Amino acid sequence: MAEPATELTLDSASLLAAEEHEIAIVGRSPWYLAWRRLRRNWVALFALLVFVLIVLACALAPVYAKHVAHTGPNEVHAGEKVIVSGKPKEVVGGGSFYDPKTNDFVVKPPEYLGPTWWHADGRFVLGTDNLGRDVAVRLLYGGRNSLMIGIGSALICTFVAVFLALLAGYNRGWTDWVVTRFFDLIWAFPVLLLAIALSSALAVNGFHHFGISIEPGSLWIPTLVISYVLIPYIGRPLRGQILSLREKEFVESAIGAGAGPLRVMFSDLLPNIASTVLVFFTLIIAANILTEAGLSFLGAGVRLPDPSWGNLIASGEDQIQTAPWLSLVPGIAIVLTVLSLNIFGDGLRDALDPRAKVRIEH
Amino acid sequence: MTARRRGTWLLGVVALAAGISMMVAAYGVAATRSQAAPQNAQKSVGTLKAVLDTIDFLDPQQAYTGQSWWAMWNVYETLLTYKHVDGPAGYQLVPGLAQSLPKISSNGRVYKFTLRPGLKYSNGKKVLASDFKWAIKRGFLATGQGVGFYTDIAGAKAYAAHPTKGGNISGIITNNKTRSITVKLSTPRGDFLTILALIFAAPVPANTSTAILNGTIPATGPYRITGYDPNRGFTMVRNKYFKATKYIPRGNPDKIEVALIGDANTATQRVISGQADYSNGAIPPDRIANAKSKGNLVLRQTANTYYFWMNIREAPFNKLKVRQAVNYALNRATMQKIVWGGLGQATQNVLPPTYPSYKKLTTYSYNIAKAKSLITSAGAKGAKVTVWTRDVSDARDAAQYYTAQLNTIGLDASLNILPRATYYSTVGNVATHAQTGWARWLEDYPHPLDWFDVLLNGNRITNTDNNNYAWYTNKKTNSEIEGLKKSQVLTPAVNARWAKVEKEIMAQAPWAPWSNRVFPEFFSKKMGCIHVQRLYGIDLARLCRK
Amino acid sequence: MLSFVIRRLIGMVAVLFAVSILVFIIFILIPGGDPAERMAGKNPTPENIQNIREKWGFDKPFYVQYVRMMQKAGTGLLPGTHGEYDILRSFDTRQDVVAEIKKGIPATFSLCIGAGIIWLVFGILVGVISAVKAGRWSDRAITILALIGISMPVFWLGIVLRYFFAETRTWFPDGGYVPLSEDPAQWMYHLILPWFCLAVLFIGFYGRVLRSNMLDTMNEDYVRTARAKGLPPGRVLGRHVLRNSLIPIVSLFGLDFAAVLGGGAILTETVFDLKGVGWYAAQSVGGLDLPPIMGVTLYGAFFIVVFSAAVDFAYAYLDPRIRPT
Repeated sequence: MAEPATELTLDSASLLAAEEHEIAIVGRSPWYLAWRRLRRNWVALFALLVFVLIVLACALAPVYAKHVAHTGPNEVHAGEKVIVSGKPKEVVGGGSFYDPKTNDFVVKPPEYLGPTWWHADGRFVLGTDNLGRDVAVRLLYGGRNSLMIGIGSALICTFVAVFLALLAGYNRGWTDWVVTRFFDLIWAFPVLLLAIALSSALAVNGFHHFGISIEPGSLWIPTLVISYVLIPYIGRPLRGQILSLREKEFVESAIGAGAGPLRVMFSDLLPNIASTVLVFFTLIIAANILTEAGLSFLGAGVRLPDPSWGNLIASGEDQIQTAPWLSLVPGIAIVLTVLSLNIFGDGLRDALDPRAKVRIEH
Repeated sequence: MTARRRGTWLLGVVALAAGISMMVAAYGVAATRSQAAPQNAQKSVGTLKAVLDTIDFLDPQQAYTGQSWWAMWNVYETLLTYKHVDGPAGYQLVPGLAQSLPKISSNGRVYKFTLRPGLKYSNGKKVLASDFKWAIKRGFLATGQGVGFYTDIAGAKAYAAHPTKGGNISGIITNNKTRSITVKLSTPRGDFLTILALIFAAPVPANTSTAILNGTIPATGPYRITGYDPNRGFTMVRNKYFKATKYIPRGNPDKIEVALIGDANTATQRVISGQADYSNGAIPPDRIANAKSKGNLVLRQTANTYYFWMNIREAPFNKLKVRQAVNYALNRATMQKIVWGGLGQATQNVLPPTYPSYKKLTTYSYNIAKAKSLITSAGAKGAKVTVWTRDVSDARDAAQYYTAQLNTIGLDASLNILPRATYYSTVGNVATHAQTGWARWLEDYPHPLDWFDVLLNGNRITNTDNNNYAWYTNKKTNSEIEGLKKSQVLTPAVNARWAKVEKEIMAQAPWAPWSNRVFPEFFSKKMGCIHVQRLYGIDLARLCRK
Repeated sequence: MLSFVIRRLIGMVAVLFAVSILVFIIFILIPGGDPAERMAGKNPTPENIQNIREKWGFDKPFYVQYVRMMQKAGTGLLPGTHGEYDILRSFDTRQDVVAEIKKGIPATFSLCIGAGIIWLVFGILVGVISAVKAGRWSDRAITILALIGISMPVFWLGIVLRYFFAETRTWFPDGGYVPLSEDPAQWMYHLILPWFCLAVLFIGFYGRVLRSNMLDTMNEDYVRTARAKGLPPGRVLGRHVLRNSLIPIVSLFGLDFAAVLGGGAILTETVFDLKGVGWYAAQSVGGLDLPPIMGVTLYGAFFIVVFSAAVDFAYAYLDPRIRPT
């Protein structure tokens, strides 16, 4: 059975020692120890850096759009020409056309402008999509949407799960039974179906009741739907942990001393599950980004024409033979983001777990 | 040799001679026969493996998609049908189950037909005149999708209000002994013959159940349907009770196996790899040149128009200047390229060029500056607009382009994508207050009334399931359309009047039409003799293998 | 034990009931278009629409409609032919929902059982190897590969696999499902890419969970005792470490397998054009077609509830320390 990570700090002992012998024994809190371990794990730190860079790049999407690419994410440039390395090229060229001499169509595939890298003054750095829109701009804006939904839904999920786990673990009995059944209900409910259904249902008019107003294209719909999916996934283990903590003497004694439920939950239970929650949080962000991509792929997440990494992959599928980068690049972006989160989360878990086999002594 | 051996030898020679002469004779007969009927080509098709993207129903009183009709044209015959020829001559109405074209009274209200003698269904039962009446009644009873066409038959409106199995439609009188069918209209309609040729009016055996029967209703055409598996496919085999006539030929394939594959790439691959002979689905533009090199690509021009409607009841489209601005903001040539890869023709007309009344309109050139100034002078800058479209890839692409252009000229546009199944009923509902959106119309039958009366006649606007998505009404054009309803034949004078109506309507710009699409029909390299009937598509009667 | 079983069974039924009510409420109360108007087609008369409303019972109050819908769902499970209005029928195609789900079962079961076997076997393999070689380069390499596996969106992997192996080089067929009864060789040939695609995600995940469990177990006192006793390391691994580490894997597998079997492989089925239950679900949900949605949701929820209860029973049986709730 896994024991929670509680170590007695040496603060009180060190104070005593300092008083007696005036030698300072420096005590270290478990957080500091974990930080020291993490610092040595350069792979995890590198992953964190990658993630932060991606977030930064996506947050700066409007800056890129305005000053580098000179176009918005939804603007169509299909009929225009762009100067690439001094030569004008059509953004969307080729294509079939009607030949009046033969009274028939000449069949040709359309030619989409490929990645110009920096040869076109920052325009169409990663090429164009089938409607003549700048892929790099859409990629960054799409990342913005995907990350907002991923992180937002992870926050909501974590809060709700911690709250329910505390409720169930502290009160036990009937409350526990209800919360567990509630977890079962959420687990049995198919998220994709719900997301697609809600998205379609709210497509016509949005939701304007109870003082809340949600427009049809709002990002709140996918955020709220995705946030509920993994509540049981972290709620159940947290509840288990809290149940076993509840039996410990320090909790019993706190209750016996007259501490109210809120006090016990916040001062005694919460700090001891904090490291688990932190690790879960990073992993939930990763999982939610993948879920959002799946929903957007099916048309139920971020709605066109607004980009999201998932719907960029879906839109690019039809052009995969002439412009494979349209589907490949957003996928690579997702893999990089989620992978860096997973590696960092892994490193975090290793650092926070004092019983890890591979330990970094100091 | 011995006597016996000699006898055997002689026998052998005689047998050989007989065999050879029989073969020569047979070849001669076959040669003459094939010369006599050149439309049945030498190499038989055997089993045709076809791929369709989707069908809605295989029930004659229910089916309302081009794909279903392509199959059912060869299964359920109607009183009148269309000629099996290419080009505009394929719009000519000829007798189908009827002996000849009907006698029409001078006031245009009474139509008299006689059914051909000796007609049988694919289950051997006789086809009776009263079966035609049952088919129309069944349409109302089963709440079929096409019943709106037949409400001008006398007594039909009353019947539709409370349809019962035993009830009567006074305007249809049949006599099974004389095989006569008389149809009386409450008001004359110039397009009534074409309406009778719709598959909705195909006779079915008396008392056929009103539940949706996909493929189990006995057939009157060259084929009958067996083995329908929803979402997956169906099969058509020869109807042994069918007798070919001058106008309805026997089909070439002995059997047609249809697979339903919604994914365009998979369907195209099937034909390229040889697993299927034919696919009717859209081919993604970037694959189309590849497909052409690996197979036999036929481009089919049908009567269709793709357009964006603008609801003249809802701001900002209640202002003419705004509607004109939208028309100036669309680069129609570019739209053909980005939506169909170039397989379409730019248009600003309501009717497609297949109509004799077609006069090309070129009012709106692509001019963003002019569009912007029109929007500003109309005071519509920054107006919030929701664009509606349905969840099919070409509709999504076209609508994204449209939305981007609306934003460029100064409106504040966003896009709302609805599922395929609910799109039309949502934007056709007055409660939605839809401002503008995507639509297309494929002709049901070759008559301008199928366009103007259904889509742009203010008198036919309904609050739900409305087809006039622009909610367009105008006293002058409404009355002109009503007047033209009575004209029986499309004479040049009548056509000139239709052209005038079209010009007047487009001057009010309730629509921004943008394309007449060209549909790809994709065959494997082994298929030949591909003929396209204007209305129903690939003609099975003339298909052959190379 | 018996009271535990009974309470669990009641819980299962309660969950199924709650799921069906939730689905129903979402669809009836949130506006999504009048079903009667949808079914009436392109040229209806108002009488048509009213007819449809009466025949299908759309004019009745919502609780009556709910009861009728549940009745229809039940009737659909009984053998024999049924009348037009007695069973659950799609609003759009009027087809028998239960029959359609049954048709999708072979494809879904083929995909999920095959992928399930692959991911269980390989997941365990990966977990054991990386636990035994913990800290060395082989462990690091396997960890990175596993992490990449769980970081890929499954539909993207499917598109990429299709593009590289079925379209530009035709090593594999480009999607589609061939029934086992029709041609076993083709059946397997068509499923190889989808199996791989679906399994990759789970192999990484299971491998890491098993690795972490095994490392925890290997630190336990009784393992140290076993080694101190002089038992060969293989025996320690097999009998003591693995047996205990596998218990959480079993519960995870039970739930994940139930989820994909219950229609959770929507994305894989869509990308590879396997017309299974997940594919059917995606078709009908986009169209807000309530009867198929209800049918598919209940079907999926049923599997999850059954498997989750089975896992709980197994746990309670295997580990008497675990107190059932």
